[in-house]
Amino acid sequence: MTAIYGRTATIETAIRHVMPNGMVALLQRNPSSPIVTVRGEVRVGAVHESAEQNGLAVFTGAALIRGTQSRTFQQIVAETEALGASVNAGGGLHSSGFAGRALAEDLGLILEILAEMIQRPTFPAHEVERLRNQFLMGLRESEQETRTQASRAARAMLFPPKHPYSRLSSGTIQTVQALRREDMIAFHALYHPRVMTIAIVGDIDPPQVLAALERVFGGWEPLHTPPEQTLPPVPPLAGVQRRDLALPGKVQSDLLYAVHGLSRTNPDFYAANVANMILGRLGMGGRLGDNVRERQGLAYSCGSSLDADLGAGPWAALAGINPANVERAIAAILHEISEFCTQGPTPEELSDAHDYMTGSLALGLETNDGIAGTLLGIERYGLGLDYIARYPGIIRSIDAEQIIAVARKYLSTENYVVVSAGPSAR
Amino acid sequence: MNLVQETTLPNGMLVLTREVHSAPVATCCVWYRVGARNERPGITGISHWVEHMLFKGTPNIPKGEMDRLIARNGGTFNGFTSQDYTAYFETLPADRLELGLQIESDRMVNSLFDPAEVDSERTVIISEREGHENDPEWWLSEAMMAATFQFHPYRNEVIGWKSDLLAMTRDELYTHYQTYYMPNNAVLVVVGDFKTDALLRKVEHYFAGLPVGPTIPAFRGEEPEQQGERRVVVRRPGPAEYVQIGFHAPSCKHPDFAPLVILDAVLSGAKGMGFGGGAQTNRSARIYRALIETQLAAYAGSGFRAMYDPYLFELDATVQEGHGAAEIEAALLHEVEKIQQDGVEPAEMAKVIKQSRAQMAYSSESVTQQALRLGMWEVLDRYTRLDTLLDELAAVSAADVQRVAQTYLIERYRTVGHFIPTAEA
Repeated sequence: MTAIYGRTATIETAIRHVMPNGMVALLQRNPSSPIVTVRGEVRVGAVHESAEQNGLAVFTGAALIRGTQSRTFQQIVAETEALGASVNAGGGLHSSGFAGRALAEDLGLILEILAEMIQRPTFPAHEVERLRNQFLMGLRESEQETRTQASRAARAMLFPPKHPYSRLSSGTIQTVQALRREDMIAFHALYHPRVMTIAIVGDIDPPQVLAALERVFGGWEPLHTPPEQTLPPVPPLAGVQRRDLALPGKVQSDLLYAVHGLSRTNPDFYAANVANMILGRLGMGGRLGDNVRERQGLAYSCGSSLDADLGAGPWAALAGINPANVERAIAAILHEISEFCTQGPTPEELSDAHDYMTGSLALGLETNDGIAGTLLGIERYGLGLDYIARYPGIIRSIDAEQIIAVARKYLSTENYVVVSAGPSAR
Repeated sequence: MNLVQETTLPNGMLVLTREVHSAPVATCCVWYRVGARNERPGITGISHWVEHMLFKGTPNIPKGEMDRLIARNGGTFNGFTSQDYTAYFETLPADRLELGLQIESDRMVNSLFDPAEVDSERTVIISEREGHENDPEWWLSEAMMAATFQFHPYRNEVIGWKSDLLAMTRDELYTHYQTYYMPNNAVLVVVGDFKTDALLRKVEHYFAGLPVGPTIPAFRGEEPEQQGERRVVVRRPGPAEYVQIGFHAPSCKHPDFAPLVILDAVLSGAKGMGFGGGAQTNRSARIYRALIETQLAAYAGSGFRAMYDPYLFELDATVQEGHGAAEIEAALLHEVEKIQQDGVEPAEMAKVIKQSRAQMAYSSESVTQQALRLGMWEVLDRYTRLDTLLDELAAVSAADVQRVAQTYLIERYRTVGHFIPTAEA
């Protein structure tokens, strides 16, 4: 544990500064690195768009860079790229994110441009159309991607149509074609400093950076209040729902099993996270990978994912399978889930999961990017800067009984969704 | 950045170490001078399959136990196979670094290649290949390589042809392993939070006793000079037309390597200088402005990689709706012709050299990135190239860039590929 202590101290010594307009800045000096990473988010995302405007948050986020009151898109990229720096922004399901990367001496320019993009984008009509055409091509490509189509179908089966989790934030060809520039301006107006966090990590002088932030973000005082994040209720799954999607020209099928998981603030979260680690992540994909890949040789990859944020996202198992073996793989996944719910983890699995989840903390905190991402997560869920120090204790407190309890509460071999997407069935 | 210390063990294994104390982590990786480049028809994909088998256990560390040991110690590990090399790495909390040395030493000579495991892995690898086959551009890329290289093993994808994957035997795999996996064909790189003297004692403990193997088979398969343009068409279901163009170009050891890297950066931004951690720099560059801003293409770019043998300078694009592959091919080639005729601007040169410096810094952040980059350059040429690379790039003149565009990016040396979607079934 001594090895982890060094980094624990650095996260705990990060500076958390709340600006007068409510924006939160998290700064960590990392003198060992000549570069600076900026990562941030405004917690306005696809959860705030209607089904008819699906894709609006993503489109708006990507358009921020396409022109501001003081710079065109080509000016932004020319100025930053001339320094080997980059800025980017993009919308997501729960928030709209932005990022910058530069040699330490160029941080000022990156902050100035990001601040313009976030506060004063102009969404020039010709740039919106260029971006729309790129998006439409991306959507046409994803319509023929087995993984994306399986995921899209599973979401539609797990969540009612009014729920933002029932769709992919990227939108559809239809909805993206219909989005107007005015919709983007209106959506951008929801952005608010009170729901914004910026994390800056690298060889920085914190007082100087705080002064720069005040200069470029301090005057941002919208009249409205930030939008609330609420989600409609989700009826529980009843029985087995299955869909098989045939896509032309495919060789492999992507298989997806899913149930409702839980939200990040749910008290069961940590137990579910350890359970997911054992079920489908540890080593080569946990128990699922061990059965489907290692014992049966059915897939290159098989594992599970737990999507816990504002609401309960999918708890899913995934595999890429030869179409001839889809039924065998579904049976294997259900078998492993059933066994796991009945017997829970072995003492060895539990201690491996504890050791991996606590021991690997140091690896995630090595780079500026890793530190910035951790700081953002800590702020997003209100975990406190002592979170990294508390985390090993939280994880080690999860026992086998808690894991069996969450597995039985959320996973199911009776009520679930299963989708395959691949070559048409023979 | 601390200096790299170079040590050669009596059995011929080269050891590169660099102390980095900024975080309590360390990486060890082993690089073998073997990859798809060392394969022949009938056993294509064998290097990659051997890599998979090195995760399947030894008499000392049974299958599955390796994963558990790494996880229990809070580490990550993986392996990867390329045309020119096969590499394995463990990144661990610094006080657990010895585990990486132990695993790499053990599996260098003791991997089991259990016949049942070989058979089970056959379907896993075929599944890996079938995952690639779901991607329309992958089919074009595979066909392009087979047309571009008619003789050199670079013609085969690293994953191998499916018929070879179906037919290869356990004995072929084991022979390949015994031929190439030995200390005198390996490079060990360790970077991170350790004291070099103490580390080297452990390295000796784990590696100095491994036996020297026989001489590595000499490489055969030099690609003859191309005598005229070649064209490839792939027709399959797909969402768009795609264009790929490859020009034969020199290896990373050639004096024209640096000018070609700059040419690539002028066309589509300086690329990441290693394994991850780069920044996007393409949007102010020539190809983006000429093809994406004009909405001819949804994506377009160029690429030039450091390779052991002469490889390719590549251009590619996703054709936007309302346009055709021939038109986009012409637009890509027009960007090359402009440089051939008019050269590049001093401001562009300054920009891409600054970008290269930044990219080098971005991809040096983690000990894993540093170790992998050292290992790769040692296998391709010498690790010391990393110290001189930025100077090599800074020394390139605008005239050099124009000259290499005129020398290599010519019709005679190019292969052009079009992916044309077929009507949906």
